[in-house]
Amino acid sequence: MPFRVRSLIYMVPQIIRSLRAPSITVRFPFAPAVIPEGYRGVVKVHAELCRGCSLCVRDCPAAALELHRENRETYRLIYHPERCAYCGQCELSCNFGAIYQVNEISRSTLHLSELETVLVDRKPEEEDSEG
Amino acid sequence: MVPFRLLVYPGFLFLFFCAMLFSWLDRRIIARVQGRVGPPWYQPLADFIKLLTKEDVLTTGAHALASSVLPMVSLVSVLTAALYVPVAGVSADSFDGDLIVVLFLLSMPALTYFLAGWVSVGVYSIIGGHRSLLQYFSYEVPFLIALAGPAVLSGSWRIADIIAYQGHTIWGALTQPLGFLLAVVGLIGKLKRDPLDIPKAKSEVVGGPLTEFSGRKLALWHLALDMQTVVGIFLLVNLFLGGSRFLTGLPAFPVFALKALGVLLMLSLASALYARLRIDQLATLGSRWLAPLALLQVAVVLWMRG
Amino acid sequence: MTKTTVPIGPQHPLLKEPMSFQLGLEGERVAESAMRIGYVHRGIERLCQERSYVQNIYLLERVCGICSHVHATTYSRAVEALMGVEVPPRGVYLRALMCEFERIHSHLLWLGVIARNIGFDTIFNYAWRDREIVLDIMEDLSGGRVSHAANTLGGSRFDLTDEHRDKILEQLQIMDAQIQLLLGAVEHERTLRERTRGIGKLTLEQIHRYCVVGPVARASGLDIDLRRDRHEAPYDRLEFAVPVHTDGDVWARTLVRVQEAVESVSLCRQILNSLPEGPVTTRVPRRVPAGEAISRSEAPRGEVIYYVRSDGSDKPARVKVRTPTLTALVTLSEQLADVQMADVSVVLSGVDLCIACADR
Repeated sequence: MPFRVRSLIYMVPQIIRSLRAPSITVRFPFAPAVIPEGYRGVVKVHAELCRGCSLCVRDCPAAALELHRENRETYRLIYHPERCAYCGQCELSCNFGAIYQVNEISRSTLHLSELETVLVDRKPEEEDSEG
Repeated sequence: MVPFRLLVYPGFLFLFFCAMLFSWLDRRIIARVQGRVGPPWYQPLADFIKLLTKEDVLTTGAHALASSVLPMVSLVSVLTAALYVPVAGVSADSFDGDLIVVLFLLSMPALTYFLAGWVSVGVYSIIGGHRSLLQYFSYEVPFLIALAGPAVLSGSWRIADIIAYQGHTIWGALTQPLGFLLAVVGLIGKLKRDPLDIPKAKSEVVGGPLTEFSGRKLALWHLALDMQTVVGIFLLVNLFLGGSRFLTGLPAFPVFALKALGVLLMLSLASALYARLRIDQLATLGSRWLAPLALLQVAVVLWMRG
Repeated sequence: MTKTTVPIGPQHPLLKEPMSFQLGLEGERVAESAMRIGYVHRGIERLCQERSYVQNIYLLERVCGICSHVHATTYSRAVEALMGVEVPPRGVYLRALMCEFERIHSHLLWLGVIARNIGFDTIFNYAWRDREIVLDIMEDLSGGRVSHAANTLGGSRFDLTDEHRDKILEQLQIMDAQIQLLLGAVEHERTLRERTRGIGKLTLEQIHRYCVVGPVARASGLDIDLRRDRHEAPYDRLEFAVPVHTDGDVWARTLVRVQEAVESVSLCRQILNSLPEGPVTTRVPRRVPAGEAISRSEAPRGEVIYYVRSDGSDKPARVKVRTPTLTALVTLSEQLADVQMADVSVVLSGVDLCIACADR
């Protein structure tokens, strides 16, 4: 078995280099966590663009979107972040560019029901309202 | 004066403080070397307090008395050893031959560690216990022989005399560099630190002999191990780096602290630099390299004495 | 000598995913081993029959947490073959780009895991630190760190601008330097080599018998790589080597994987520099005609095969996934015979276990 000293101290230059470099981790609650620009986070809707066609509901792989329709003019689009897979298929499926994702993480709550978000609440007389 | 020395400095309180400090510094150094931030200064203390408050679970079939006595025996023997290890020249007690007592007391934790695996009935504990015993035979022999070097050179088995001898000659690490290196390796094995953490290798035997321990007992185990680190480092500083003696005129304590931190740095870097050895690799290393080299060092020392 | 039975799993610090081993130990030697899998069976193949073709992309992306993109890509290719759709060249290149990023990510992750398992935390931290570069690139490109959702039927969901490309090339420069350090460590570091050399040996004959694919096969001297062997875009225009070793032990697998990651960095650079112009997606028909299709890809762990059968409805009639890990998994009982207890961790991590892939 050839005994080579280099093989025993191979990591020394590496650890000196990393001592000089800034550390890769941050002390989390004290240092800000940066969410990148293009991150696919929670789902939002431009309510005025939504036609209630339910294409997003059809294609959602996680059944995170629900459309409750009473008639052509009255419907509610409900979003469940706890089921959401954040895949962005709804954004891709939407023909009107109404549904989109922002680089936010859904907030934590004590009860599941608090997470439920009404994205669109369309009534016949008014134009739109967002919940 | 004696109660102060026993309880405060260089006794229990000082050692406790050092144990927390060293454990933090160790984690911090390793983290920095690996490119991480590392824990804040209060982390070891927080861990200790958290463990104290946790529920103490005992597995079915485990020996209740033994499993609560063993961590105490471990801690007590380390603390007793600390009585004879001078910190910056001050020790609670000293007599001719105290080095031998210290070495004996410092190997007590290894025995209790093995027994800890034995009395808690889990399979991982028993395998870990076996491994710790095997490891004991591999590191202890070179460690003892290496530590005999300074004693033989100075002609006394009293730690204070060895320090004094180095005071009017030079450091033991300079006369016996090989012995110093072997002592550090032996200390790593004794403390079950990273490259030689074979008895408690997480990916192999989960937590080793301490797998089934929890709560206060585990806190005591950790404290005993941390204090053993401190006492072991102090011992090496006294035997090989001339205690607090440096150029005359410098205050004793800072010099001693600096040397101790230097040894700690060596231990930390060693655990960052190497992968864990297998138990048979350690046994081969111990019997083929470490022990003969330690004997060689002692032979050189004997020749130096003429 | 008395035998001790040591359970490894379902939960064990060594395993990142649940599986179970019962090891019969004689001293420190493993005399017998019994394996049990199925703890993360999620019935994905059956679920596929309940969902539409589009929804299945995201479902199949979750077969594996590491090589998510390659699963989605392979499935998409099968469906596209059924539809008779040709993906535009830019889409093909972007898919391949993501696959190569994923390969670097997977291999570095694996290097970290095995380093952790042999108690080499420094390499573990370095490997995962460098993997972060790739994860950041992928997150930047697609919006997700692990589940990229970068595929759609008929092409790629993301596109990149010239500034973006320059930024990635810059990051790849750093990546290249870092990964060379890791390769050097694997080649030269003594304790790492001592722990992995001669452990978990598989001969070429065993590789053939168990149909093992991927880096494990390449470490035993079987020179297969679908990227090169299939002569398909974009790999037919790119230059890359397929690292093959003949030792068949864990050390050879480590080398193969890290060298592959090095090759992948160069592949990413080539893809970025030769990215064709044009659209990234093409329109796909609404209906999938009846029929069946098979699609294969070289995943980080080896060849992954998808079989999709359509009966003309909006849901597939059958989706069959054949993951590379399952073949490697069955060799474990042979690899574990007569190893030491301490080497069990090396053997288990050596095949790059992905229990989620194997169980589906």
